[in-house]
Amino acid sequence: MSSGTRQLHPDENIKLGKLGPHVFRIALTTGVLFLILTLVMGLLAGDDMTRFFFSYLVGFSFFLTLALGALFFSTIQHLVRATWSVVVRRLTEAMMGTLPLMFGLSLVIIIPMLLGHTGLYAWSDLAYAEDNYFVSQKLGYLNVPFFALRIIIYFAVWIAIAHYFLTRSVQQDQTGDTSIAARMRAVSAPAVIAFAITTNWAAYDIWMSLEPEWFSSIFGVYIFAGAMVALFAALILVCMGLQKRGRLTRTITTEHYHDLGKFLFAFVFFWGYIAFSQYMLIWYANIPEETIWYQMRIEGPWMYVTLALLFLHFAFPFTCLLSRHTKRRRSTLAFFCAWLLVMHWIDLYWIILPTYDDGTIPFHLMDITATLGIGGLFVAVAAHLLGRVDLVPTKDPGLGESLEFENY
Amino acid sequence: MSSASEAKHPAQEFNQITETVADVIERPKPPKAWYVAFGIALAMLGLLAVSVYHLLTTGVGVWGNNNAIAWAWPITNFVFWVGIGHAGTLISAILFLMRQSWRTSINRSAEAMTIFAVMCAGLFPILHTGRPWMAYWMIPHPNEMLMWPQFRSPLMWDVFAVTTYATVSMLFWYLGMVPDLATVRDRAKSKVRQIVYGILALGWNGSARQWHRYERGYLLLAALATPLVLSVHSVVSFDFAVSKIPGWHTTIFPPYFVAGAIFSGFAMVLTLMVPARWLFGLKDIIKESHIDVMCKITLATGLMVGFSYGAEIFIAWYSGNLFEQYAFLNRAVGPMAWGFWIMVTCNVLLPNLFWFKKFRTNPFLIVGVCLFVNVGMWFERFVIIMTSLSRPWIPAAWADFTPTFWDAATLIGSFGLFFTLFLLFIRFAPMVAMAEYKATLPAAHAGHQKG
Amino acid sequence: MTTENQSDIPETGPGGEGPLHGVLAEYETPGELIEAAKAVRDAGYTKWDCHSPFPVHGLDPAMGIRPTVLPLLVFAAGIAGLGGSILLVWWMNAHNWPWIVAGMPAFSLPANIPILFESTILLAGITAFFGVWALNRLPKLWNPLFKSDRFLKATDNGFFISIEAADPQFERDKAETLLKDAGATAVEAIHLDPDPTRWQIPRPILAFIVITAILGLVPFAFIAKARVTHGDQPRIHVFPDMDFQVKADTQQRLVIDDSPVFRDGQVTRPPVEGTVPRGQLRQDDHFYRGLEGDEWATTFPAQLDIDTSTMDRGHEQYNVYCAPCHGEDGLGGGPIHERALEIQSPEWLMPTSIHDQNVTRQPHGQLYNTISHGIRTMPGYRAQIDEEDRWAIVLYLRALQRSQKALPDDVPPEERAQIR
Repeated sequence: MSSGTRQLHPDENIKLGKLGPHVFRIALTTGVLFLILTLVMGLLAGDDMTRFFFSYLVGFSFFLTLALGALFFSTIQHLVRATWSVVVRRLTEAMMGTLPLMFGLSLVIIIPMLLGHTGLYAWSDLAYAEDNYFVSQKLGYLNVPFFALRIIIYFAVWIAIAHYFLTRSVQQDQTGDTSIAARMRAVSAPAVIAFAITTNWAAYDIWMSLEPEWFSSIFGVYIFAGAMVALFAALILVCMGLQKRGRLTRTITTEHYHDLGKFLFAFVFFWGYIAFSQYMLIWYANIPEETIWYQMRIEGPWMYVTLALLFLHFAFPFTCLLSRHTKRRRSTLAFFCAWLLVMHWIDLYWIILPTYDDGTIPFHLMDITATLGIGGLFVAVAAHLLGRVDLVPTKDPGLGESLEFENY
Repeated sequence: MSSASEAKHPAQEFNQITETVADVIERPKPPKAWYVAFGIALAMLGLLAVSVYHLLTTGVGVWGNNNAIAWAWPITNFVFWVGIGHAGTLISAILFLMRQSWRTSINRSAEAMTIFAVMCAGLFPILHTGRPWMAYWMIPHPNEMLMWPQFRSPLMWDVFAVTTYATVSMLFWYLGMVPDLATVRDRAKSKVRQIVYGILALGWNGSARQWHRYERGYLLLAALATPLVLSVHSVVSFDFAVSKIPGWHTTIFPPYFVAGAIFSGFAMVLTLMVPARWLFGLKDIIKESHIDVMCKITLATGLMVGFSYGAEIFIAWYSGNLFEQYAFLNRAVGPMAWGFWIMVTCNVLLPNLFWFKKFRTNPFLIVGVCLFVNVGMWFERFVIIMTSLSRPWIPAAWADFTPTFWDAATLIGSFGLFFTLFLLFIRFAPMVAMAEYKATLPAAHAGHQKG
Repeated sequence: MTTENQSDIPETGPGGEGPLHGVLAEYETPGELIEAAKAVRDAGYTKWDCHSPFPVHGLDPAMGIRPTVLPLLVFAAGIAGLGGSILLVWWMNAHNWPWIVAGMPAFSLPANIPILFESTILLAGITAFFGVWALNRLPKLWNPLFKSDRFLKATDNGFFISIEAADPQFERDKAETLLKDAGATAVEAIHLDPDPTRWQIPRPILAFIVITAILGLVPFAFIAKARVTHGDQPRIHVFPDMDFQVKADTQQRLVIDDSPVFRDGQVTRPPVEGTVPRGQLRQDDHFYRGLEGDEWATTFPAQLDIDTSTMDRGHEQYNVYCAPCHGEDGLGGGPIHERALEIQSPEWLMPTSIHDQNVTRQPHGQLYNTISHGIRTMPGYRAQIDEEDRWAIVLYLRALQRSQKALPDDVPPEERAQIR
């Protein structure tokens, strides 16, 4: 084992510096412009904004899962006392710092629902719900006020955890007080439990209830698996981007990329395992109220998307990432990270859009613009947060071991 | 050698480990407690022999299985034992890939535990067939009747999953043990030991070229065993979850069963290792911090199991399906509610004691909690299997289950088999991975000398 | 091999020491071993090795060991396991004996994934294990180095370098100096035993291995014999009470004393004299038995609506119950017949063609009766098919028979033009 005595290289650039405001400005402008564009297109679509909300939900889900992945990653590192990851932890802390923004963006969905818009969630239409036996059974849970309340509770929990770990981590940079690390470790256990419960039920609420008859108890784990794939892919790309701009060049090494790549690989496998378990159990038992969800996705044109997920979200990256060379060479690793981010987006699209139309693939330009718009705001907030702090937790007691870290 | 005055010389440190571990199998007589335990285990094994004889000569009717609850007791025991068998490969493979060096003190015995537990598990479905000598029909082979196994059946998946798991676990265990067997060979004084350990060690001589391939092979086996661990209990959960039986058919079963298996496996490792480290003077090798981590993993997986119970019950209500809702109501307040509440108490409530440091340091409290966890995990399978089978869709098919004497005797007997094998293993095989343990010491790193 | 072994054999035989195997040097720490290994590598030796009680990290590059091919072998084995098992499940469940269960397709991938996965892991795992030993040229229980007492420490706490005399540039003095200069605490020469027969596996052990291997084949020989010969002895019943159970079928009389059920040994009771169970008063001979008076009915009963829906029902039921033997076209070549030909079943007779004159001449009632009670080797289907459906099948049969002997007049006038 390493003794962990290595120090940060004295010439290392650990400040975002001018890059921060630069990225902030570009991202913010992009975000606002694209969101306005999406809104205009939504209004022009003339369907009472229904199509707009579906596009918006895809973009929102993509960045929410990313932020939740970052939240989980940042807290679990304390719980398991991982030291290898210290050099990249600040980056995920910044990503989870966007959760207040995500809460603000969730209001775009909740407030119209409270005002009586029923286009997105079928159960919010009482006439439909009471007419359908299975949905009518669930109205005690699936009703707009309770739904809104739950979303607020989930975000309250997430923001509280994110705030706690972000501020403590930064505080440690300034004071160098190692007792902070001990306290974060103590808090991390209940934080992970709270995260697990809220994320699971949030997955049931936000995505599973799109098809209100359908139910699958593994669904929360499925969303979690996808979120972790997206997180590791995004984290690797962010590290590479920063290094390209001369930040952290001596701190993050091939060894760290190799390890992040291993986790990416592991979660690609885990995603495949969970996706298969869910599909196989429903397919085999063949119970109508369950199969309906897959029927929408394997009959008609959605079948192509389903097959694409099987081969391109799972089989292809899985096979290629098996080799250590793929994980250690930056170009190939970057390719698969970008690839998997796209696949995660398609995965969410595949979860959400069949509810809008299962007969065709109802692609609309808004799907892209909404994602880009929300992404712009997400990046802006993360860059803003990172601009004010060091890019690595400089006083973390595990930093030395992380710098020395080697795969063997 | 440069700092010989303060720290121990590296060579002494390495030798210390060899001495401590090899002493367990080289001392002329094991401690008295070993004999007592072995005697009890043998008696229980005898009970197994009698039960199996009675079963085979009389028929499966000696068990309490009935028409509604055909799976009953034997399959409960099967799932229980397979679950126990999960911690071994988890510790060996997953923790190895995660570079958790503390695993080296307990991985060997956990792997052995895995293999013995899988043997016990295999006993039950084979006996459950009633005519175990016909079990070879499960293996695809050309035959006069032109019959092939039905590969779409979950029971067939079980055959493949459990045999693969047993095989790979055994290879993994043996591969890891060869360098240590060579150590025992080189220390052996008697001719018999030299020959036996000499053959088992395959002529290992610690060559760097051999270590190179050995390490790569070990890593590959670990990488293969990791998804295998997930798959085995997932497949066992498929046995239940692919059916339409209320209370069985829920999609969270695969990860939930895996978490439960690791939970029970760790509890069993603790139950065995806490007394063993005290009995054989291995306190310097299996450290308190290792026990502490294992307690925490038990706690974590216990919470996952509790979480799955919650998700399962919520989805049963959320499904709006009357039968699903009834299945869970029946578990909680029906005639077998006592089983459900034992399960909840032992699996969800009691592991929370591990939040307190006292419960992670006091050996009696650790073993106490872990015994409850083992009981609780047995009841989990009992509750899942019995409540759902005893209340199928049509009330006319409802039935209750009462275990017979032979049911109990077979279960107790399987513990006899398990403990007999485990005690023999402790006595005759190196129970700590010496080579690996040495490699995790600071002195094993080249930088240490130059530094 | 060990100390005690050594003491029995004199260090030097009558002809002096045996041929030189190589030199062995000991080092104190892993760090020194690595440095010494670099020196030996740079000196250009090829037949040499390091020995340590655990894998020393940093030694592989120091020695210049190339990465092993093992991962490739394991990957290939995994692919073979996957491909092989796909072939296995396809051939057995979808090709050789296609067998529909629970409405799943014969080759249903989701349900086969567990089998494919486990086979992949099994083959890859076995390859990883045996690959390690094959590439390491083990087991090889005997090694000249084992003669050295010092070398016993190689599995405890000693670090060694051995250079073989077979190396092309080996010179004893040079090698010893090199090792010593690299920091060895001790250097010694290793000699082979002067008696070359002691380098080989002892004869009794060799004989034991060969004999065991041959004996191991005996059970397989018996199995092979049993597969190609026929016996006239009945099979052995290990547990006769399981093979011949004391039980009775419905309406059967159990011939044992003290029947646990009824005193007369019957297992069921006949209905009370003069009573008829609900719904079983089947007075309508025409509908229930296909009789008009004492003759087979030549007309369809009044309960049956002669229309397209009945015809469709008959078609469906025919395909479910009759077509497996008689074929969908009624010529008698159904899938079961084909299977019987395939396995060359000696007992099988071809099912009757329903277009046979014997059958076409039969009145409706007689066909109905045959479906109900069977004829020759055909079993009765009254338990599976209710009366109305049986009549629907008769109706469909008539249509099927007519289809083979259709006249131009049978075709509707508006479609007649299409016949050329």
